[in-house]
Amino acid sequence: MQLRYVFTELAQGLRRNISMHLAVVLTLFVSLSLVGTGVLLNQQAAIADEQFGSQVEITVYLCNETDVGRCNGAVTDAQRGDIMNAIEENPEVSGLRTESKQDAFDKTLAVSEAQGDTRLLEGEDAAVTVEDFNDSIWISLVDPERSEGVESAVATLDGVKLIRDQRELLEPVFDVLDAAQWGALGVAGFLVLAALLLVGNTIRLAAFARRREIGIMRLVGASTLYIALPFLLEALVTALLGVLLAGGALAALLRFVIHDQAADELKFMPWVGLGDFGVALGAIALLGPLLTLLPTLVLTRKYLKV
Amino acid sequence: MIRFEKVSVTYPGQGRPALDDISVDIEKGEFVFLVGSSGSGKSTFLRLVLREHRSTAGRVYVAGRELNRLATWKVPRLRREIGTVFQDFRLLPNKTVHENVAFALQVIGKPRAQIMELVPQTLDLVGLDGKADRMPDELSGGEQQRVAIARAFVNRPKILLADEPTGNLDPTTSVGIMKLLDRINRTGTTVVMSTHDNSIVDQMRKRVVELENGHMLRDQAQGVYGFQN
Repeated sequence: MQLRYVFTELAQGLRRNISMHLAVVLTLFVSLSLVGTGVLLNQQAAIADEQFGSQVEITVYLCNETDVGRCNGAVTDAQRGDIMNAIEENPEVSGLRTESKQDAFDKTLAVSEAQGDTRLLEGEDAAVTVEDFNDSIWISLVDPERSEGVESAVATLDGVKLIRDQRELLEPVFDVLDAAQWGALGVAGFLVLAALLLVGNTIRLAAFARRREIGIMRLVGASTLYIALPFLLEALVTALLGVLLAGGALAALLRFVIHDQAADELKFMPWVGLGDFGVALGAIALLGPLLTLLPTLVLTRKYLKV
Repeated sequence: MIRFEKVSVTYPGQGRPALDDISVDIEKGEFVFLVGSSGSGKSTFLRLVLREHRSTAGRVYVAGRELNRLATWKVPRLRREIGTVFQDFRLLPNKTVHENVAFALQVIGKPRAQIMELVPQTLDLVGLDGKADRMPDELSGGEQQRVAIARAFVNRPKILLADEPTGNLDPTTSVGIMKLLDRINRTGTTVVMSTHDNSIVDQMRKRVVELENGHMLRDQAQGVYGFQN
């Protein structure tokens, strides 16, 4: 096969139809960037889940003398024993520790001291005293996603004031990550559709511009592949440009937004790194050529039929 | 070389068949005129030989292949054995005479050395020696048709199909084109030419197949236009 002709045609085709090709490249650039961002957000959610999910505990607060509502006076030793038994026997529990009301008060005091204001906690007329805190049991779970079993086993027991699942505190963070991820993928979906239509139009125009050549090639017995090759290469070139631009945008996002901004300000959170960038890049490197080659193959079969 | 066995073609949505029960056998090296008025089925006949269409009924054999059974991917190979010339020349306006003829070889993957040898040879044969670097719009109609013939013949096909090749040319130029087709025929190439031009058919005294409304009106060994037994 004479590739010289194919490459001459490729260069000519790209030049002749430059505005359409530019439109395809830009649409691919934006849609692939969004797909890549969606993939990165997905990875970020997984990392955050792994990091915090394993540390999440359920806290069971026990009744105090002064507590009202479910409580009927301070928790008795017998009640405390029942509660501990119920927790220890539960197969979903991987470990537990107890915290006395004094421990809880000390922790609060330490935080307040760090903030430089302990007026409410100290002195003869302190507003908050040790007796305002509760003894508590901190339970870690085998599967942080499944806390219902432990909660229902303990919730109805006497002497339990309140059960708090720390996951509820992290829920908004995961919700934001989820929404951003699906938002990015949703918008990307529309843009991908636009890219497909643009590629289709570009091929239609290119086939029309080359109808004489194509007609003669068919007559003299050029193979379908040979006729379609300049179109396929054009599709590949636009896809590669789109992937390159989107890859650059993702790299910039990783470097300037995540590493320089977010990771600096939210140090407690682990962030996506180069490995995750590689996964996102791989995803768009596969998707980009697929988006242009697939409609090209379908349409060249239609327009260039021998 | 070309055999039609009880061939009928009906286009979708049309009641009357474009070709109806046609049987004809064209031997290797023959020169056959296909005559008849517009809509008689001449073009359909040529399209069947090129496998641009398949027959609705009957069998078409070309160069030893039965075209209804020929896989689509094998069609390009068949067409490399057939050269085609049209009334409207169909040259590429942005290519020189040499490039137009070379194009037919390039796109089927012929090596450059072979192209550089065959193209001048063929241009010489069709009488365009020295005009290789001209653009098509610098040539007369007759010369443009010669380029088209050179392009059809450069790969030395077994069959040359000519669809009204003199239709756009004046009588004197047409004679030149006929002499050229005759010369090509004498190299052993089978030539099938559709035409309206009765004086050419009468002068050449070659085999004539006449079609009318898809039916074969006559198949005469040394025919003249419009003559009926």
